[in-house]
Amino acid sequence: MSKLIETAELAKQDATYLQALKELLFQLADDDLLIAFRGSEWLGLAPHVEEDVAYSSITQNTMGHAAMYYNLLEELGAGEADILAHGRKPEERRNGIYLEKRNGEGTYLDEPYYDWALAVVRNYFYETFKKIKLEAIATSSYKPLANVARKVLMEHPYHLAHWKLWMKQLGSSSEEAKKRIQDRINEAWAEFADVLELGSLANDMRSLNLVMIGEEEMKDKWLEEIQSVLVEIPVGPLGKKYGSGRNGEHTMDLEQALNTLAEVYNSDKTAAW
Amino acid sequence: MYNYVEDGDSKTTAYVEHDQAKYDAFMARIEAGDKIEADDWMPEDYRQALIKLISMHGISEIMGALPEKEWVPKAPTLRRKLGIMAKVQDEMGHGQLLLRVAEDLMKPYGKTRENLMEDLLNKDLKFHNVFHMPTKTWADAGMVGWLVDGAAIISQTNMLDASYGPYQRALQRICQEEVFHAQHGESIIMALAEGNDYQRDILQESLNRWWPSLLMFFGPASAETTGSSKQDIMIKYKIRKSTNEELRQAFLSKYMPRVFSLGLTVPDETIHYDENEEKWIYKQPDWEEFKQIIRGNGPRSKERLRIREIAYENNRWVRQALATEPVGV
Amino acid sequence: MAKESDFYQVYEVFSRRGSKAPMQHQFSLLAPNREMAMMMAQENFMRREEVIDVWVVKQNDIRKMTSEERQSMTNRLDNKQYRTTKGYGYLRQKWKEKEQGMLDEKEIMSWKEVKKK
Repeated sequence: MSKLIETAELAKQDATYLQALKELLFQLADDDLLIAFRGSEWLGLAPHVEEDVAYSSITQNTMGHAAMYYNLLEELGAGEADILAHGRKPEERRNGIYLEKRNGEGTYLDEPYYDWALAVVRNYFYETFKKIKLEAIATSSYKPLANVARKVLMEHPYHLAHWKLWMKQLGSSSEEAKKRIQDRINEAWAEFADVLELGSLANDMRSLNLVMIGEEEMKDKWLEEIQSVLVEIPVGPLGKKYGSGRNGEHTMDLEQALNTLAEVYNSDKTAAW
Repeated sequence: MYNYVEDGDSKTTAYVEHDQAKYDAFMARIEAGDKIEADDWMPEDYRQALIKLISMHGISEIMGALPEKEWVPKAPTLRRKLGIMAKVQDEMGHGQLLLRVAEDLMKPYGKTRENLMEDLLNKDLKFHNVFHMPTKTWADAGMVGWLVDGAAIISQTNMLDASYGPYQRALQRICQEEVFHAQHGESIIMALAEGNDYQRDILQESLNRWWPSLLMFFGPASAETTGSSKQDIMIKYKIRKSTNEELRQAFLSKYMPRVFSLGLTVPDETIHYDENEEKWIYKQPDWEEFKQIIRGNGPRSKERLRIREIAYENNRWVRQALATEPVGV
Repeated sequence: MAKESDFYQVYEVFSRRGSKAPMQHQFSLLAPNREMAMMMAQENFMRREEVIDVWVVKQNDIRKMTSEERQSMTNRLDNKQYRTTKGYGYLRQKWKEKEQGMLDEKEIMSWKEVKKK
């Protein structure tokens, strides 16, 4: 099937297509939800006030993107967007594991020893990847998804520029800053690989033209872009130390995230909030 | 969100000799409704009252983000998550605007934002009583947005004609955003009030808990209550128009009918509007407790300051790394 | 350790809403350099506004009127009608007598389009 699928109803008629599409949407939605959740924990704690405000806009945009993907899933019969965001178990989540990682030591409520170097490296790595993936789906065979991707791409350049500037600022500054950034880059290198993957249905996604380039090409593009900014590239290949979130493998950090983000939701699932 | 409060033990201001002719010209401008700018001559007590008012206002915004922020990652739906995030972001933004205004006023003393943060952490710079209080349920997120912000809107709009131009301009921006805040709070409250038993219970419980803090919000009615009040100087210099009690009365008039219309009660069986006296009669909150709270001995004062301190100290390396220009931009 | 006040600078932020609108002053922020100032500007002051352009200017680079200048150099006598259309209002009656309309601001600003041949 290489023709354009215009509506959810049409997508639902082909089981293979529907499954690959839903899988892709869960990746997109869960990635954005988790990194935005981590961003929302940072609110009020950034290095200075002006940055706090700017970062929160990026976080809101990103959570807004997640909501758009969950809405596409709702149209496809996967369930209500809010339940998909708040009610799914860890093993049903498809986000890359690195995106669920805690912001540092402590929690946002108690002793929040959050690490700005992690925030900068993670967001820069993720936003660089997000651009590549969005471009790969901007002409997707599923028209509603292509439309969303093109919209998201409109506000994405600010996100990437913001984190790229922070990388450049900290990467060329004090010895301490350089070391903190490099340590987080090395750490990310061992954990980031599953973010760049499309999971077990990668072949279907590509052959059905849900994505217009495959995961290998995405990874190459990502490496090329990252290498143009990083002062020092870690030796060795990218790793996925904790497994692949694309297959539903996750860490305790995701459980903490889900317990927090769904605390009120879980307190009364029948309530309209 | 803000109100100017006094705990009764403010440091005495050294008397500063001033030029009578300049003072008279200044007062003539104040009387004529002119706006004073940062680099205009101003009497010391005007400058100091403004610094105290605006730095406390700014820091209260930043400290005020913390209790609501407790519910940002936890908000129950995607829409609520986005709404409360935008709202708390605005509070940080208000802090930014106000700190900038305070910084320009402090310039002659060589003081900067760094000093304000240090003053806060040393408890020399106080923040508003409501932000020393705990939040326990999602209903508190609504209560802060609805009634605490409602009280803040009453006190902030009262200063929209303030004689100090930069403050007036900051307040203009702030009050415009408060309109969104008010509706954001109402929206959370409305869902709870029209929700199930559990939701109505947490809503009523939240209001009961916040009630004394809401009355305290505007500060004591007179200096006698806590020993000191800067109300007079604020009115003399046309920084604000009304007294603490006038503002509290305005708040009760605007909000009590709405509270009752939702089927809610307040923990004061005596409260009523006296038609003859044309004012609300209510039980006084414990002003001794108020003094303790704003001195930093409130239920959550220590924890909130600790979070602010960690965020400030733990990110010092980042700010230090900003001393150099970024390379390759 | 460097004092933060030594490298944080005040930047004034300006923005334009649309192509016909003037650059408008918004507010000021603290930033260590102009790239950072630019990156903060839009989200700090124009979160709910249309923006098509943003400027950041280091406050120290602006020659502002002094307090005295604001009070002594901004006053003007109200005798400059010859500079404005107000001083030529009598023409309306004159043209009317000649059965012609007045070419006022509204009329002239409407001349964006002329008839194509």
